[in-house]
Amino acid sequence: MFFFKLFIWFNLRQVQHHRWRALAVVLGIALGAAVFTGVRISVHASLGAFTRSMDAITGRADLVVTQPGGRVPEDLVARLRRLPGVTDVSPVMTTYTRPAEGGRPFLLVGIDPLLDRHLRDWNRVDPGDEEADWERLVAEPFTLLAGETLAAQAGWTTDARVVLSHRQGDTPFTVAGRITMDGLGKAANGRMAVCDIATFQEFTGTSGYVDRIDIRLADPGTDPGPELTRLMGNGLRLGSPGALKQSGQGMIRAYQVNLSFLSFTSLFVGMFLVYSLVALNAASRRHELAILRAVGASARSVYWLFIGEGALYGLAGWLVALPLGSFLVRYLLEGISSTISTLFVRVHVDRLALAPWEILISLGLTVAVAMLAAVQPAREAAGVPPREVMTTTRHQQGGRSDIRRLALGGLGCILLVLPLAHLPGVNGVPLPGYLASLLLFTGFALLAPWMLQQVGRRLQPLTARRAGGPAHLAAGYVRDSLARLAIAVGALITAVALFTALVVMVRSFRHTVEIWVAQTISGDLFVTTRMAETNRVWEPLPPEVVAYLAQHNEVALVPNRRFSLSHDGHPYQLEAMDFAAFQEFGHFFWLQGDDELIPRLIRGEGVLISEVFAHRNGMAAGDLFRTQLQGRTLTWKVLGVVRDYRTHGGVVFCSLDDLAARMDGLAWGGVRIFFRDRDRELDAAVARLRDDLVLRFGDRLDMMRGQALRAAVLRIFDETFAITTVLLIIALLVAALGIATILTMRVLERARELNTIYALGGSRGQIRRMILWEALYIVTVGEFLGLLCGFGLSYLLVFVINRQSFGWTFLYGVDWAALALSLPLIVATALLAALPAMRLAVKTSPAALLREFGN
Amino acid sequence: MNHEAMTDTIIFARDLTRIYPLGVNEVVGLNQVDLMIAAGEFVVLKGASGSGKSTLLSLVAGLDAATRGQLQVAGRDLLRMTESQKTAFRRDVVGMIFQSFNLLPTLSVQENVCLPALLAGVPLADATRRADRLLDWLGMSARRGHRPAQLSGGEMQRTAIARALISQPPLILADEPTGNLDSKNGDMVIERLRDLNREQGHTVVIATHSDQADPFATRFIHLRDGAIQSDQGPC
Ligand SMILES: Nc1ncnc2c1ncn2[C@@H]1O[C@H](COP(=O)(O)OP(=O)(O)OP(=O)(O)O)[C@@H](O)[C@H]1O
Ligand SMILES: [Mg+2]
Repeated sequence: MFFFKLFIWFNLRQVQHHRWRALAVVLGIALGAAVFTGVRISVHASLGAFTRSMDAITGRADLVVTQPGGRVPEDLVARLRRLPGVTDVSPVMTTYTRPAEGGRPFLLVGIDPLLDRHLRDWNRVDPGDEEADWERLVAEPFTLLAGETLAAQAGWTTDARVVLSHRQGDTPFTVAGRITMDGLGKAANGRMAVCDIATFQEFTGTSGYVDRIDIRLADPGTDPGPELTRLMGNGLRLGSPGALKQSGQGMIRAYQVNLSFLSFTSLFVGMFLVYSLVALNAASRRHELAILRAVGASARSVYWLFIGEGALYGLAGWLVALPLGSFLVRYLLEGISSTISTLFVRVHVDRLALAPWEILISLGLTVAVAMLAAVQPAREAAGVPPREVMTTTRHQQGGRSDIRRLALGGLGCILLVLPLAHLPGVNGVPLPGYLASLLLFTGFALLAPWMLQQVGRRLQPLTARRAGGPAHLAAGYVRDSLARLAIAVGALITAVALFTALVVMVRSFRHTVEIWVAQTISGDLFVTTRMAETNRVWEPLPPEVVAYLAQHNEVALVPNRRFSLSHDGHPYQLEAMDFAAFQEFGHFFWLQGDDELIPRLIRGEGVLISEVFAHRNGMAAGDLFRTQLQGRTLTWKVLGVVRDYRTHGGVVFCSLDDLAARMDGLAWGGVRIFFRDRDRELDAAVARLRDDLVLRFGDRLDMMRGQALRAAVLRIFDETFAITTVLLIIALLVAALGIATILTMRVLERARELNTIYALGGSRGQIRRMILWEALYIVTVGEFLGLLCGFGLSYLLVFVINRQSFGWTFLYGVDWAALALSLPLIVATALLAALPAMRLAVKTSPAALLREFGN
Repeated sequence: MNHEAMTDTIIFARDLTRIYPLGVNEVVGLNQVDLMIAAGEFVVLKGASGSGKSTLLSLVAGLDAATRGQLQVAGRDLLRMTESQKTAFRRDVVGMIFQSFNLLPTLSVQENVCLPALLAGVPLADATRRADRLLDWLGMSARRGHRPAQLSGGEMQRTAIARALISQPPLILADEPTGNLDSKNGDMVIERLRDLNREQGHTVVIATHSDQADPFATRFIHLRDGAIQSDQGPC
């Protein structure tokens, strides 16, 4: 226990004495920890919301019957109920719908209240006769029970009349009651409603079919038996109800790991700060350490004193991070949950759950990182020989061979980056990519001392002639104290690299997606059945709509039909399209193959797959693609690979005619409309057609102008990348803080030398210029290495990390103008960061400094 | 003092040599010194600057390692000790006093004094009691809570003496303890060391340029270029 006493006496008091330095470091760590914690908690909240919602819908089902790309015939329910060992059978339907008057979509669940009794529970908000509610749902058509959140948000009360919108047109419902946030009521976080399955079918035009059938077994452990399996003909699939949940959770967790790594960057930069302060303390207190050792402290306790100091900064940083993080989380939560909704699975989050485990993880990580940063200085401190107590001069360390060894190590790290980056990711987590990035940073930081040495050596004769004394002295100092300086450069390298990589990535990504949007999402008006996009279920367009459009001779139509399917557990879309019509107005963004393939695609000789699909499933041109659709097995050859940035997984494009032939007829699910005359007033023409369609079929269709759709797609992408950008910018902030702190510490560290120069007749101006020159050296070298490191990092981001986490890559493009504009800005900032140091150097009186640093 | 009565040898050195490697050159700090000091002696070490006084003291104190030779202090062989044995040795066997005091600036007078005892595992209350007694004896009670920066040179050195004594080491080594003090303060420090030697039987070895300690010495050793030039009783 005496160790803690010693820690307080020896370390804590020093920290107290120089509390501003400590505060800067703690703030840096706190920012990093806050971002990390905020991100983790936000994703955790999304994961929790998703899981609760899925569990609420799944209820107590043991098995579930589905039909990939289609629906399950309702008559199966009766046959399943007759099977021995099956205790409950309940058909379930779900869809998103919305009030016709507008507002956000909500989840409508259709069940048979009687059959469903043992599978899912719900409670009324107003206590009353539960049986009566069920009976009303069944007996009275078009009644619903509204979830608590939905009722509150939409202002629905019992017996209110509400009009809901779906593909059959707007339909009036009566609110029969409200249910609490329990059981089924927790689905979609309470933004839900329940109705009788017959009402549901009538509302959505799906009579005779249900989305799925839930089964409860008498003994869940046993094999369901051959009778059950025999009933599964015609492409029906019997699965566990958890599969959907698990695949969704898997995606959210992978995203969490991705964001954790990104936010870890800030903590990583914070490590430089901890290192620099602990190293400064260890170096400037070298003589005190010798005294400690001389009076009987062991090397090991000295080592732990400094590790303890690192831990202290980590702990303090984490404590500051808690309020900071809870403030941050409010901003992150919405961004992150909406990104998860656009990219992976729909989540409804409106509250934060306390996540003790996440908070513990962040505590552990922050303290561990800070302790790790203190290891090297602590080792140096423990190595101070007690005999130094007899001497008064201080010792410089960091010999030549050390620097060369470090540089070689750095080079080794950098050489390892490429092979490491090409290892495959694990479950959507680009672990090798992130490790490669860390290696890259480390490698360049290790190279820094050697670079400084080279620059110092080359510059010294030159600066001696040109710039005179201060520059000359500065170059000498740079050379003599490389080990310590390297840290400042390391922080700068990290900052510049982050910035460069960010500029490159944003530019590459934006540029590529813009091309894709312009080429592939061409069209003047997009028409689908109502709520199709929201539900990701594209039902046939009403025949009269198709007939009306077909006789319209000013427009060309590019019809399609899309199905949400999954391949080896990865969700994707099968899009059947009219290649011939598309070819006139749009282009694919080819990765493998070119426009020459179009005739073969039209003939149905094969399909195109998107980059994401290719990567997720390890497929390429020449492979065979096989899928189950509505009970049929379809097989095609993969002819080419195209870039595609649509969310929720990859795409397979096949010919609409070909698929129609294979499926014995296939209705259009959506259509893109192009005006043939491209020179006319397009906006007005599109508006007129749209108004016309609204008048005729309005409540059954969703329409979107091409321009609006393209803008919306780009907006979604910007939002998705906003999180990434914010995380990197915070890391940049921490790095800037680091540079200022480290330069200031450099001055403090050499206060004695500076004052000796002053005492020997150097003017304040000369000292000031010397520090400026030193900053210039650091900034030049840091900028140069940072730029190199940044290009390396941008390569990793664009081609490795994005590919492994999302499955897509971008056209690599550097925004030279933005770089050229902002790099001088970074130089200026770094020099500005030297200002406090310069002021400090000439402000403190030599006598005071001698006292502070004296024995 | 009767030499015959003191048969206990507290420092024994044979062929003790310390060579400092300095790049390609070597500097001889101590050159083949043979030495025997009995418990209870009051030794004054003299010699020109650079003659090896501090080198000899740091070897005996276990702060530094000899290049070759033999060295036994209080019956322990310093050349065969492990690092942790040396740490314990510094804590328990020797008390060091330096020209530049070497107090820890972040610790108060009392805490500085307690430190070696606490490092040796003595409970805080006991160590504080012992420290207070020593500070009392040295006339430092009023300064107990001050930091070294608030003390005069004499007070700092008295604090250092208290620290050297806290673990009751048999051997006190002082390297120019009066070098940074005026003659009045210097005399006071020397008198305290004499009291320790005469009244409590501590062995004291002082390296010094001044003659303040001469009246109390039982023995004078003169060093020159790292070797013993002369070794004699009190004149
Ligand atoms: N750490 C060291 N590295 C190299 N040489 C050293 C070191 N310490 C001492 N020396 C050399 O060893 C020799 C003896 O030095 P030492 O400090 O023991 O002399 P001293 O008698 O204590 O001198 P002073 O009276 O000035 O304190 C000197 O020549 C000195 O330069
Ligand atoms: Mg000396």
